[in-house]
Formats: sequence, structure tokens, C-alpha cells
Amino acid sequence: MSNPAHDHDQWADSLGAWLLGALPEDEADGFRAHLAACQVCQEDAASLQMAADALPMSAAPRVPPPALKDRIMATVESEASLLTAAGPEADRPSPRRRRSWLGGLSLRPALALGLAALAIGFVGAQALQGGTETITAQVTGGGRATLEIEDDRGRIVARDLPAPPEGRVYQVWIDRGGPAPEPTDALFSVSGEGSAHVDVPGSLDGVRAVMVTDEPPRGSDSPTGDVVLTAST
Amino acid sequence: MPGAPDLRSLADEDLMQLVRRGDARAFEAVYDRHAGAAFSVAYRMVGRGNVAEDVVQEAFLSIWRSGARYERARGSVRTWVLGIVHHRAIDQLRRTAVHAKRRASDEGIEERVEAPERTDTEVARREEADTIRSAMDNLPAEQSHVIELAYFGGFTHTEIAAMLETPVGTVKGRMRLGLEKLRNHLRTLEMPSA
Repeated sequence: MSNPAHDHDQWADSLGAWLLGALPEDEADGFRAHLAACQVCQEDAASLQMAADALPMSAAPRVPPPALKDRIMATVESEASLLTAAGPEADRPSPRRRRSWLGGLSLRPALALGLAALAIGFVGAQALQGGTETITAQVTGGGRATLEIEDDRGRIVARDLPAPPEGRVYQVWIDRGGPAPEPTDALFSVSGEGSAHVDVPGSLDGVRAVMVTDEPPRGSDSPTGDVVLTAST
Repeated sequence: MPGAPDLRSLADEDLMQLVRRGDARAFEAVYDRHAGAAFSVAYRMVGRGNVAEDVVQEAFLSIWRSGARYERARGSVRTWVLGIVHHRAIDQLRRTAVHAKRRASDEGIEERVEAPERTDTEVARREEADTIRSAMDNLPAEQSHVIELAYFGGFTHTEIAAMLETPVGTVKGRMRLGLEKLRNHLRTLEMPSA
């Protein structure tokens, strides 16, 4: 196996394409490995980054419609209220801390088994795209969703998902193959168009599946609602 | 509220500290500062207003929900925000028919319909855009073309090579040379991005 630091001649001409996001994912992975070990390319990348960073500012200015801000702020304010209701421990801490406010809780084995069965029965499509592994989730109530994994972090991206029942929110759960899925403090709703973008708290190392159920506004210690989606990692 | 900071006076990086703690008003201030640029680049990439709105909505909700991921040492908030928008737009392009249409004809990414001037901020942003476009226009056409196709079109270097019937190595070389020339030109102009 070659040493990435010694592959400069092979990778040097890929720097421009990498900065522009134009390397196919397998090549991008190889380039990143080389970059991490090659001081020459690190210096070149730092030098050229300013040009790549300037490119988006060349777009002809356009004014976003006010309704766009209204939609975004409606979701933000709704989630901010949920965070406030959940208390200071859930006040948008780092992902590694988020799980703690529901930690140390027992879950209903029957429901856990049901969730695990859903995860095992899931047959999803996986694809690598832009540095992210995308897993198609099984959605039970309409709409579609993917789990995007970058490094060891996961993000649920849903579209056309039905809103949670009145007075309830969606909650993310993770399955590590234990007797029950673990709760997280990732609570969310969907936009008027049914879209949502939710980070899965913590690392996905050792996680077999990520699931979403509908729960009361402060979330639950154990699942009480219907499983909305399941993504097997 | 007594003691509440005037959000308009805070730097982006300080606003992000508040966003990380779930401050919706701080997030709104970040949105107000960068939504215009975000929408502009999204529209430039996807070419349709409703799709651009979707891209910007996804990007800003991602920012709201992952504010802790912003690292001051890795660049400005604006660069971070626009990078997220760029990635979302590329995802959108690569999973929809928009990209397929542009694969057949890349005329769409040349679209430059501008918004009417409204505020000093928008005037300043237009001037900055004009300056960077001028720098792009100074590049040899074959270099600016591959940069446009890659950055705004979301195409990989192999796709661009096939479109232009040009060797991949040549395409990669044009990308790098173009970025080097753009950097050098921006340095002479002392652009904020530089």
C-alpha cells in the first residue's frame, strides 16, 4: 500500500477539481487522504481556497421571497420552543451531550423488538454522494426519507412527510442491537411542505438503525407512537 | 429585555454562539445577513426559484440544527453558510432532472437575471458580484467554462471532460490554472474574500 504522502505527483493535479467539488467521491476520498499527509498540497489548498470561496459571491444578486423566511422561522421558532420546554439540559448542547437528558431509561421490550424487526426487514438503497453516504429509509406513513452519513455523523432528510399528530412531535431513536432502542433528544416537526432536516445526536459508530416515532412534545423515555421511518446503517 | 445584546451589532461568529444555544432571534439575524447571497447562489445553480427556495430552506434549517458544527478557525460564517448551500444545491442537481437537462445543454448556468436594487447591502453585494464576475471574465474562456460547469453546474471532472470531449487531465489542469489566476486577480483587488 502506498504512502499517501509520497503520491504527490499522482494527486497534485486534482487539487482544483477537489476545491470545486468536482471529484467523484472515490477520488475525493483518495485526495483527502493524500492531502492529510502532504504539506505541499495543504499549502496549495490554503492558497487557492480564497478563489473557490469567492465563487458563490459571483452569482447575480437575487432577493429571496419573504415567504421563505416566514417558513424557515416558523420551524425554527417551533423547535426553539420545544427546546425551551425541554429545559436547559436540552438547550441545543453539543450532539454528544444531547442524549443524556433521556439517558439511563428502560424501554418496552416488545416495542423494541418490533423496531428491531423493522430494521432487520429493511432493504434500502445506499449511495455515496458528495462525501456523504446516503441510505434510503423505510417510511411507513407516506413521504420519503434518507439517512445521510458523513464521517460518523448522521442526518435524516425527509420530504413530503406527514406532520406529526396534533400535540406530538417526531423523536429520533437509535438501535445498537441491544434489547431496546435508545432515545435521543432530537425532536422535530416538518415544514409545511413536509420536509425536515435533523441531525442524529452523537456518533453512529455501532448503530444498526435509526428510527423515528411520534411522541409527546418533550419526547419519551420509550417509544409510545407509531414508527414513521427506519434507516438501517 | 434588559441586558439583551443588540443582535445587529454582533459579529457573525458571536451570533453563531447564540444560535448554538437555540436562540431563534440570533438565527434570524444570521439569516437576514446571508439569505440573499445564499438564495442567489442556489438560484444560479438550480435555475428555478422554487427549487432554490427548497435548497436554501434545507441549508438554513441544517444550520439551525447543527450550529455547533461551525468552527471559527475554518473560515467566516458566510463562507460556511454558502458552502452548505453549495453542497445542498449539488445534491439537488444530482438527484433531479434539473441536472439531466443541463447535461444536455449547460446554457442554464449562464443565466444572470438580477434582482432590482433595494438596499445599500444589496448594492454592495451586487458590486462584489460584479467584481468577481469581472475577474472570472478575465480568465481564458476554457478555464472559466470548466470552473462554471464544476462549481455552479455540479458536474464532476469526468462529466465535464465527456461534455467537452476533452481529456480529464486537461480539464483538471484548467480548473487549477483558472483558480490560480482568479486568486491572483482577487489579490490585486484586495477582495474581502481574499
